[in-house]
Amino acid sequence: MSSGKIVQIIGAVLDVEFPSDAIPNIYDALIVEGEGVSTTLEVQQQLGDGIVRTIALGSTDGLQRGLSVRNTGEAISIPVGGKTLGRIMNVLGESIDEKGPIDTDEHMVIHREAPKFTELSPSTELLETGVKVIDLIIPFAKGGKVGLFGGAGVGKTVNMMELINNIATQHSGLSVFAGVGERTREGNDFYYEMQESGVVNVDDFEKSKVSMVYGQMNEPPGNRLRVALTGLTLAEKFRDEGRDVLLFIDNIYRFTLAGVECSALLGRMPSAVGYQPTLAEEMGRLQERITSTKTGSITSIQAVYVPADDLTDPSPATTFSHLDSTVVLSRQIAELGLYPAIDPLDSTSRQLDPLVVGQEHYDVARGVQNTLQRYKELRDIIAILGMDELSEEDKLVVSRARKIQRFLTQPYFVAKVFTGLDGEFVPLKETLRGFKEIIEGQHDDIPEQAFYNVGTIDQVLEKAKGL
Amino acid sequence: MAGGKEVRTKIASVKNTQKITKAMEMVAASKMRKAQDRMLAARPYSEKIRNVISHLAHANPEYKHPYLVTREEVKRIGLIVVSTDRGLCGGLNANMFRMLLKKIQNWEIEGKEIDLCVIGTKAAGFFGSIGVNIIGQVTHIGDEPNPEELIGTIMIMLNAYRDGDIDEVHLVSNQFVNSMVQTPVIQQLVPGEPDEKENYASYWDYIYEPDAEEVLDGFLSRYIESQVYAGVIENISCEMAARMVAMKSATENAGALIDELQLIYNKARQAAITQELSEIVAGAAAV
Repeated sequence: MSSGKIVQIIGAVLDVEFPSDAIPNIYDALIVEGEGVSTTLEVQQQLGDGIVRTIALGSTDGLQRGLSVRNTGEAISIPVGGKTLGRIMNVLGESIDEKGPIDTDEHMVIHREAPKFTELSPSTELLETGVKVIDLIIPFAKGGKVGLFGGAGVGKTVNMMELINNIATQHSGLSVFAGVGERTREGNDFYYEMQESGVVNVDDFEKSKVSMVYGQMNEPPGNRLRVALTGLTLAEKFRDEGRDVLLFIDNIYRFTLAGVECSALLGRMPSAVGYQPTLAEEMGRLQERITSTKTGSITSIQAVYVPADDLTDPSPATTFSHLDSTVVLSRQIAELGLYPAIDPLDSTSRQLDPLVVGQEHYDVARGVQNTLQRYKELRDIIAILGMDELSEEDKLVVSRARKIQRFLTQPYFVAKVFTGLDGEFVPLKETLRGFKEIIEGQHDDIPEQAFYNVGTIDQVLEKAKGL
Repeated sequence: MAGGKEVRTKIASVKNTQKITKAMEMVAASKMRKAQDRMLAARPYSEKIRNVISHLAHANPEYKHPYLVTREEVKRIGLIVVSTDRGLCGGLNANMFRMLLKKIQNWEIEGKEIDLCVIGTKAAGFFGSIGVNIIGQVTHIGDEPNPEELIGTIMIMLNAYRDGDIDEVHLVSNQFVNSMVQTPVIQQLVPGEPDEKENYASYWDYIYEPDAEEVLDGFLSRYIESQVYAGVIENISCEMAARMVAMKSATENAGALIDELQLIYNKARQAAITQELSEIVAGAAAV
């Protein structure tokens, strides 16, 4: 293939000059061939006169102008399929778990078209998570897309880990975990937890059920920009084989942020709040590929960081529109010590529809939301005039709402170190029964502490006896 | 600016609330003074008449009036509950209802049934909703109640007592200790109780003219009316005092809320300004 020379290096962005009859295409992978360096570049722009502007997928330390660059003639391609199970790879598909290279003939390029409109398949089958507030208010669909929105330190990763624990470990299909720009430690913890639960089997990779792709926060922006695509490509391969796949991405915001870091260097004018002008396009390209087709399904759960707790920030706002269910984690709820800090009024799901979940479930969920909404409205009155001024009905609403708030909490398996309590998997039937009884006022006589951090309503009654 | 407008609207609404509570506080303060005067004016009469009744209960008259005879078996108790017509007076009514409910529960455990006569809309609403038997009610008596308006309810109770439907009549109202403290009290009206404090050396009786029955009949009715009237008057003083205190703290709470919201608003405003500035500067630099 053709080769060129580096003519400019600014941070993660490099300009490379090629002979004018052999200019690489957009998204082609180039490899820098210097002494002791082999950084991969990805073509982003063609500047004219044979010069292409590229992003480095890897460190640019030690590179210099004049180094020779080889064109591979295709986009980055990564190993896919069964051999990737139980393995950890980086954005380029190289194994990083020190268990040798991934030995497979199956490769796929990471840039692909989204499935066609006619290939998509809608799904209304519910996915039970065992988390009360999610099953009740924000039911997940198999093959649906879920976003976990939250500011710094309100529990996005903990919630994601709990969902992985409750769904992925019980799930018969395969999973893909993409670590995008989060802490390396968390990726490491996840790897060893998966080994403990047997989802990753290091002795016999064939028996593993999860593939992992990491491009964590220590890596250059190019890696973080593309690592989500690498993970997605793995999931797409499994889907096209007809499997049901779970795709976990932590954290999609880092993908946007990596785009910001590259955007200005590529010479684009910053847009609102300093984001790249191509924000919606970049997000759309990624999100439209995460979808279920008639051959197989991808159920994706994505953590989305919300800068400064502002959901109207362009990045989370752009992500919102692509999702079926949005789980919003709220700082106010976390400050009250109520975990999981999922906001039952802000969170929504397309599946919460009487035709999908059934009339009873719908009524209970709306009843819970109505009670909480009324309590929210009354809070200002209580703050100014005090509880005594409320009418008897309103006092009852307040006391039920406070019980509901507490009953929405539950101990997590993965949070045992924080709470000291064993995790609870609450079946949907029990969740519905519990909330229905509270709304109907069957538990008006039970003190509200009894509802805090327990699983089923029977456990509430049990705890109330001890108070 | 994220939420800047909403915060500003909210501040405005809390400010309006604060104005209202401030005004109510001042109105309640001036009404309290008048109500207190009225209460003090009614007090000597009601105290004297109670004094005489307690003497009578101790006396050994030739004629025992039914209002003075303690019945051996108490099956049904009548309560006259004095509450306010309007809310926004802190825990005044709620405290009284709570105390009364506890008492009613005790009575019900003892197997005594309860009949209520309620004065004031708050008691009518509360006891109506929990399903206690209400046999009479007076509402909207205003700040200067007329004894005539109360007589109806009192007569219902007294007639029931005389017919033997109920065996005791109690008055439940708030006692004005001072402008900060009001305590709910239950006072037995019928049968009249002897005053334990006084010591009577010997058996004695008044001399009645023209005869004991006629005098006592009228006298005891006046006595009960005066007690209820005094209770209502005192309750109004309590209402005004409680409202004054409640509105004072509401005004303070609203102030605190405004401060909090103002801080959020200022932060949001400053953040928006800083962001716009940095965007302009960065944009200019990029060009």
